[in-house]
Amino acid sequence: MYVYLYDNYLNNKKFHSVLKSIEIRLVDYGIAGKILRLNNYIDVKPVIEDEIKRGAKNVVIVGNDRTFGHVLSRGATCDCVFGFLPIGPDNTIAEVLGIPEGIAAADVLARRRKEKLDVGWFNNRFFVSQLHVPPAKVRVVYDERFQVTTPFKMEVVVCNFQPFYWKKSKKDNEEFVVHPQDSKLEAFLRPLTKAGWFGYNYEDPSIFPFEEMEIIGDGPFVVEADGKTTKEVKVKIRLAKNKITMIVGRDRKF
Amino acid sequence: MIFQRKSPVEVVEEVVEETLVEVQPSDDNIDTVVGPSVNVEGDFASEGNIVVKGTVTGSVHTSKNLIVEPGAKIVANVRAGNASISGEVRGNMKVREFVELTATAKIVGDIEAQTIAMEAGALLYGKVLMPGLESGEPSRRTGRSRRGEDGSQESGA
Repeated sequence: MYVYLYDNYLNNKKFHSVLKSIEIRLVDYGIAGKILRLNNYIDVKPVIEDEIKRGAKNVVIVGNDRTFGHVLSRGATCDCVFGFLPIGPDNTIAEVLGIPEGIAAADVLARRRKEKLDVGWFNNRFFVSQLHVPPAKVRVVYDERFQVTTPFKMEVVVCNFQPFYWKKSKKDNEEFVVHPQDSKLEAFLRPLTKAGWFGYNYEDPSIFPFEEMEIIGDGPFVVEADGKTTKEVKVKIRLAKNKITMIVGRDRKF
Repeated sequence: MIFQRKSPVEVVEEVVEETLVEVQPSDDNIDTVVGPSVNVEGDFASEGNIVVKGTVTGSVHTSKNLIVEPGAKIVANVRAGNASISGEVRGNMKVREFVELTATAKIVGDIEAQTIAMEAGALLYGKVLMPGLESGEPSRRTGRSRRGEDGSQESGA
């Protein structure tokens, strides 16, 4: 049995036609199921567990990167197969998973090509898309073997599924992109060499693949993970291997 | 006519093969990059390629390629599969296959490698050991005077 978790923004009229056509395609394939609409105040984990008790085997996330992060950061431990139907803007994770946008995603879902995926774990919480520390005075210790420091403030981005887009400076027209791989977390460290009223300047990023790392700050620093922002002094990040089973496309990037 | 038609196709295939061969090495997954103002301290080990643009202190170990860019500094013993050095290395280097020292390279320490290419202008202060030569001519290693005559075992600048 399938359960579909729709994001709140899909109530917007402009998505109705896409949703209708996807729902028709799902009925054709015989994989239509219960539809639940999410909002910011719903804790997804008990919702999914309830549905699993009622016999659900597959939970399909319908939305964008934010929805994907919102559901899986809480529901990663649930014993079910996850699917993803990307609709609307801000869908970078779908590309990594090889799932096309719109109605073609229903075909991928019907093919049921399952893969076990890794998720990130930090301070007793999962993150699936990206963890971001805005420029702060921090040092990073990798696998308790070596530490990385810089005299400048440092921005740290840890990518799991979401690609990392970056620019060298505000005026820079060229945008760089780094695609993450599975089975590893990638940390991008960028020292902020200049910041002021008239723009900023970042150095070329340092890239470190790792399985465990610690970010230690001189003071409290901001951490954004899957759309949630907290302040921490020390963050320990680990890779939880083969944590979620996901239906992926043939053109996935791992 | 048939032969004339076939030949351009063959040429195109050859060109495609050549480009593929050229692309593959540059497409190597660059796994670890140490940025220009970044300082790494400790046992720095990676299973993939390492590109150093900043400073590394401690030890460096990779089974694949190590690239030290101009301006970069390594104060550490280095073990790598292949190495291309354009920056400064203070420490002994043990490379499994090939070492390339470009014109801007500065090495203070011994180098042990299968093959070494050294561009004019590269600075080296230390011993160069090539295991192939040892196994090929074992009798020459015994006499100190003979090693002096050869002059191939040590080099300095």
